[in-house]
Amino acid sequence: QVTMNVGVAHSEVNPNTRIMNSRGIWLTYALGVGMLHIVLLSIPFFSVPVVWTLTNVIHNLGMYVFLHAVKGTPFETPDQGKARLLTHWEQLDYGVQFTSSRKFFTISPIIIYFLASFYTKYDPTHCFINTASLLSVLIPKLPQLHGVRIFGINKY
Amino acid sequence: MAHTSAPVRNGHPLHPGKNDVGLRNGFSKNGQHLHHTKGGLYKRPFTESFEQAPLYVAVLTYMGFGVVTLFGYFRDFLRAWGFEKCNLAQEREEQKDFVPLYQDFENFYTRNLYMRVRDNWNRPICSLPGPQFDLMERVSDDYNWTFRHTGKVIDGVINMGSYNYLGFAENDPTFLTSVEESNEKYGSGVCSTRQEMGNLDIHEELEKLVATFLGVESAMTFGMGFATNAMNIPALVGKGCLILSDELNHTSLVLGARLSGSTIRVFKHNNMQSLEKLLRDAVVHGQPRSHRPWKKILIIVEGIYSMEGSIVRLPEIIALKKKYKAYLYLDEAHSIGAVGPTGRGVVEFFELDPRDIDVLMGTFTKSFGSSGGYIAGKKELVDFLRLHSHSAVYATSMSPPVAEQILRSMKCIMGLDGTTIGIQRVRRLAENTRYFRQRLNEMGFIIYGHEESPVVPLLLFMPGKVGAFAREMLKRKIGVVVVGFPATPITEARARFCVSAAHTTPMLDKVLNALDELGDHLVLKYSRHTRSSRPELYDETSFEMDD
Repeated sequence: QVTMNVGVAHSEVNPNTRIMNSRGIWLTYALGVGMLHIVLLSIPFFSVPVVWTLTNVIHNLGMYVFLHAVKGTPFETPDQGKARLLTHWEQLDYGVQFTSSRKFFTISPIIIYFLASFYTKYDPTHCFINTASLLSVLIPKLPQLHGVRIFGINKY
Repeated sequence: MAHTSAPVRNGHPLHPGKNDVGLRNGFSKNGQHLHHTKGGLYKRPFTESFEQAPLYVAVLTYMGFGVVTLFGYFRDFLRAWGFEKCNLAQEREEQKDFVPLYQDFENFYTRNLYMRVRDNWNRPICSLPGPQFDLMERVSDDYNWTFRHTGKVIDGVINMGSYNYLGFAENDPTFLTSVEESNEKYGSGVCSTRQEMGNLDIHEELEKLVATFLGVESAMTFGMGFATNAMNIPALVGKGCLILSDELNHTSLVLGARLSGSTIRVFKHNNMQSLEKLLRDAVVHGQPRSHRPWKKILIIVEGIYSMEGSIVRLPEIIALKKKYKAYLYLDEAHSIGAVGPTGRGVVEFFELDPRDIDVLMGTFTKSFGSSGGYIAGKKELVDFLRLHSHSAVYATSMSPPVAEQILRSMKCIMGLDGTTIGIQRVRRLAENTRYFRQRLNEMGFIIYGHEESPVVPLLLFMPGKVGAFAREMLKRKIGVVVVGFPATPITEARARFCVSAAHTTPMLDKVLNALDELGDHLVLKYSRHTRSSRPELYDETSFEMDD
């Protein structure tokens, strides 16, 4: 019999809601993106524009999967699964919009996009890929799309 | 971060004219905490610390969790595609088309992190959990999915995890004769509720003794400590009432609050400014939409918080309660018997009047070596609970040998059995606590909590260290309790030590030496406040030989 005791030491029902406000997590995220970039830069075949586009695309792909595709919590919560159908982004701060974590995670892909556009010298192909990737990660963050599942994809 | 507040210079409404004596010459020692007495509310300085680790520790902790998460996804992929044997329960083939019973993502953490370190919890023991106990050795051949016992017994393991504050978890025959006699006389179970046939004379005697012990008018006991909270809070408050509960309250209090149907507002842990703000908002604005006044405002706090080791700021809460006319429910599960000069709990620790607190609740599990809980207070309150508590109507009453054990241990603590064993144990616990905490602080570990609380959480931070710490301590024959996310905040995984009066100084020294060694080996000494037992060496203004 395996049991995990979520929420026994504090009355926080869903720890996922405040994990992005914890001390040091923004710095860890920034360092993680930096590490990804350095690893990609060290591959000898890729030129600098390709590396920046790849960083942008991989970062946005990871962000999309972990924040907007995976639903529910990786542990059982004592609230009988209220958050089972919500993505992590929708769970942040119990659905309150425009908190500082939400602003930070909205601005960071934009900053990476600016840097990628600069380093790819605004080349049309790269620009198209980067813009599509940025939109895929910005549109789900809009407050109007909170809880919205287009064409029923990822609903249950 | 150390809890400090600005000392009150002009005095406090309750004690006008008393000056604060915390700062010496207006200069605070480097690394020491400001001692403040809040205008005379506290008779002694209140020193608690919750030091934050350096930022790189938090970053490394998140990276650790990130690595574990990525590996978890990888292993799930391997298990799903058949490259790795799946040890979990699975549906049968013919059930695969049905709606699934469980969501597998909810078990992600359990499968991928908890399973790897599972051998540090639920260890079977084969002796009573006194200051030392015997463990059954178990090994796992498939990375903790199944265990098997080798048949060997690891004996003499020092027990730093049991809530045995006064050492009453013992097998001394002279002490236990009365318990055995009550078992012969009454039987082992009552099989009825308090209101029907389950009210025995031993229950009445116990309740009178508990009331005398605490210094209140009357008390009522229940068979289960968790149920005492969960069943009685709904009897006291209901719809239209407001509960102000501390952030870190135990699950039983949270469950009782939710079952009652009142509005619950949470204030920051032990933070009196947060509580006062909530009280003011409640009194000024009333109920949410109708703005009618609240029927009752009940503040629910605990005496000692078992995960943090912090002690509640009771004098300030009582001052606030009197000012805003709220009620106070104090859960002394860990503090009764464990703090206070004669073991009467936090009320005695702060030298307050027990009549100021409306509902005194506690359990007999921790310091009395028994089980069950009590609620004490004014006679009208307890009489009301005898009629209206769910536990009194539906739950079986306390078993007689259990009640006799509480009677015996409480008489021992009060000195009514003619010996001084009880008071010696209380003093021994205080000495052990001070010694243990002081040595750990000197070594440089980050310890949470009040300096006189017998619960000592030692911060480990990183998920890998949680498993390594517990295993290494077991190799050195010391049993510890470690806790990680999600039971604690994500960066604050900890090992929790419970000091007991039954621990002798050689036992504590053995534990401390092991911690010293492990602290260097696992790099756990993150404290940036240097605390030495010889502060005068650091206060020298000149180091001339003849000063």
